[in-house]
Amino acid sequence: MFIGELQRYVTRLQNPNNVSFLIQKVCPMSLANISVHQVVKNYHKDRIEIPVLNGLDLTIPAGQFSVLMGPSGSGKSTLLHLIGGLDRPTSGTIQVGDFNLDRMSDSELTRWRSRHVGFIFQMYHLIPVLTAAENVELPLLLFSMSSHERKQRVATALQVVGLTDRMDHRPNQLSGGQEQRVAIARAIVTDPDVILADEPTGDLDAKTSEEILNLLNILNKEFGKTILLVTHDPRAAAHGQRILHLDKGILSQEKEAVCVT
Amino acid sequence: MALPLFYSWRNLLVRRLSTSLTLLLITVIVVVLAVLLSFAAGIRQTLKNSGHRDRVIVLKPGSTAESTSVLFPEETNLLVQTPGIRFDPSGQPLISIELCIQTSLPRLGYQDSFANVAVRGVDPVAFAIRPEIQIVEGRLFDSGALEVIVGEAASKRFGNLKIDGEISLGRLGNRLYKVVGIFRANNSSFESEIWAPRSMITTAYSGHYTSSATIQCIDESQAQTAINYIKGPSVKLQAQKETDYYQELARTTRQLVVLSVILIAIMGLGAVFAMANTMYAAVDHRRREFAMLRTLGFSRIAIQLTIFIESLLTCLVSCIIGLLIGSAFIAMNIEQDFISDVSFSSLTYQLRMTPTIMISCLILACGVGIAGALAPAVRASRIPILEALRKA
Ligand SMILES: Nc1ncnc2c1ncn2[C@@H]1O[C@H](COP(=O)(O)OP(=O)(O)OP(=O)(O)O)[C@@H](O)[C@H]1O
Ligand SMILES: [Mg+2]
Repeated sequence: MFIGELQRYVTRLQNPNNVSFLIQKVCPMSLANISVHQVVKNYHKDRIEIPVLNGLDLTIPAGQFSVLMGPSGSGKSTLLHLIGGLDRPTSGTIQVGDFNLDRMSDSELTRWRSRHVGFIFQMYHLIPVLTAAENVELPLLLFSMSSHERKQRVATALQVVGLTDRMDHRPNQLSGGQEQRVAIARAIVTDPDVILADEPTGDLDAKTSEEILNLLNILNKEFGKTILLVTHDPRAAAHGQRILHLDKGILSQEKEAVCVT
Repeated sequence: MALPLFYSWRNLLVRRLSTSLTLLLITVIVVVLAVLLSFAAGIRQTLKNSGHRDRVIVLKPGSTAESTSVLFPEETNLLVQTPGIRFDPSGQPLISIELCIQTSLPRLGYQDSFANVAVRGVDPVAFAIRPEIQIVEGRLFDSGALEVIVGEAASKRFGNLKIDGEISLGRLGNRLYKVVGIFRANNSSFESEIWAPRSMITTAYSGHYTSSATIQCIDESQAQTAINYIKGPSVKLQAQKETDYYQELARTTRQLVVLSVILIAIMGLGAVFAMANTMYAAVDHRRREFAMLRTLGFSRIAIQLTIFIESLLTCLVSCIIGLLIGSAFIAMNIEQDFISDVSFSSLTYQLRMTPTIMISCLILACGVGIAGALAPAVRASRIPILEALRKA
């Protein structure tokens, strides 16, 4: 299903006469995909409680490209990690699709991550001893899937990010922008519902950043991925359908979702 | 579920230096273990080939070996009465009275290096009792001549013990004996000895006493009857089955094995710590990597498994290299002298590489691998994901 979709996309890309698909917006069902309810997150340091999120509410509809901004230390990454099941809230509930994260055990959460979330970080976090293709293949090892199908998926994912010719390169043979594209291919190869990107362009120059953001746009518009992007860069934020501001534990909204039906 | 093998392998190659050092250490241990065990196995094999259940060896009470036993004619004469004894077709009882002495001979291939060799004075009946003795070169000695036959192993280890070679024996070393034959004895310890006519040896050394008597009994149960008789009030000598006698001699090797086990255990413990140290360094170096793998959905167990696999791969390679080096060493030193502290004479044996030894080495190497990786694996699987990802 996913493979077919990606391949159709790739063939259309290769045919420059037909670019109309780029304007077609995949507008999802209004079903709330991510719902954060009354989430409190405190950290403890030397017995002192550091409150980061204080009863936060947020709903992100499936298929929306949301951007989260805010000063450093305001808890943007913390929120992203909570939604991605990498951490648990002190109190409150987080629901992603049909899954209520606080009802899941650690190992269930680990398994859920591998199937439903794609993470993209500022530091790429590629495995240095593995080639680009092997890095992308890694999350597929958690699925029962023939090696042939894995290879096919990897090839398609690399094609989407435009790195087919670099598939045998190790991370240290790639530029920062290329590394981030490999990380994106790794995040989408399992066909997750949600992509969580924490300052993915923080280490990249303006031009490369633009390429990466365009890529995220395509993933959102073409494949209907729900994306939550954390950034400090207003230009990056402009790509989102909705911009959220987090400051001192309070979430405010700057730009409403534009969803053309 | 698990991470691919090449992932572990490449990580080993990345930290080449620390991997090689650990590898070297474990290789050395495997070589030492392999050689020590093959040494013990070789001696045990030689002693196992020596001795039969239906033969009884008679010594002076209190002595543990022929070389320290002295029997007088009045004592040996009593043995003819022993029940359960077998007779040859001509009606002669199969009792071989033997004199065992030591002489020092130059070792082949060494300058000015001497070792003790056992010289056994025997009568023709000795060959009737021991059909395993076979002349493979030359002929048997003439009972009344200054002639000897030499075990094949002794012939290879000492100078002058070839056919027509001459050795001087006797208390004053003033009698020249000629080597007239080379014999084999089913790889038993006899092959490390020189055999001569008893009369020619007693006159040269003791005058009248002998060292031991070997009695061929009808069967194993009769051997027990014979032993009881000889130990009893009518003879009052020490008697045991030949097999038991050689087993006693093999005790030396058992002590050796115990010593090697202690040595290997100490070295192994060192290797475990070395491995743990290497793996700890690797885990700390790759915290972000493991955190990312966990983020992608790999379980704690999958992470632990890669640590174990990396450690076990190192140990497996060490084991293979160690066994190859050990085998090469064993192949080079086909035959060795072993100075048994019981018999005081050198015993020639072959170092033997057996499947048991290989498996022992493998178990040792894998044990080091698992023990060394245990704590690092736990640490790797417990890395706090977010903290590790945040730190650049
Ligand atoms: N493990 C932790 N222990 C204690 N405090 C923590 C921990 N993780 C985060 N914090 C604190 O929580 C607050 C929010 O951190 P977070 O990383 O979410 O901020 P951020 O908005 O992502 O900032 P930045 O824009 O700099 O990435 C910070 O004050 C931080 O110091
Ligand atoms: Mg952050």
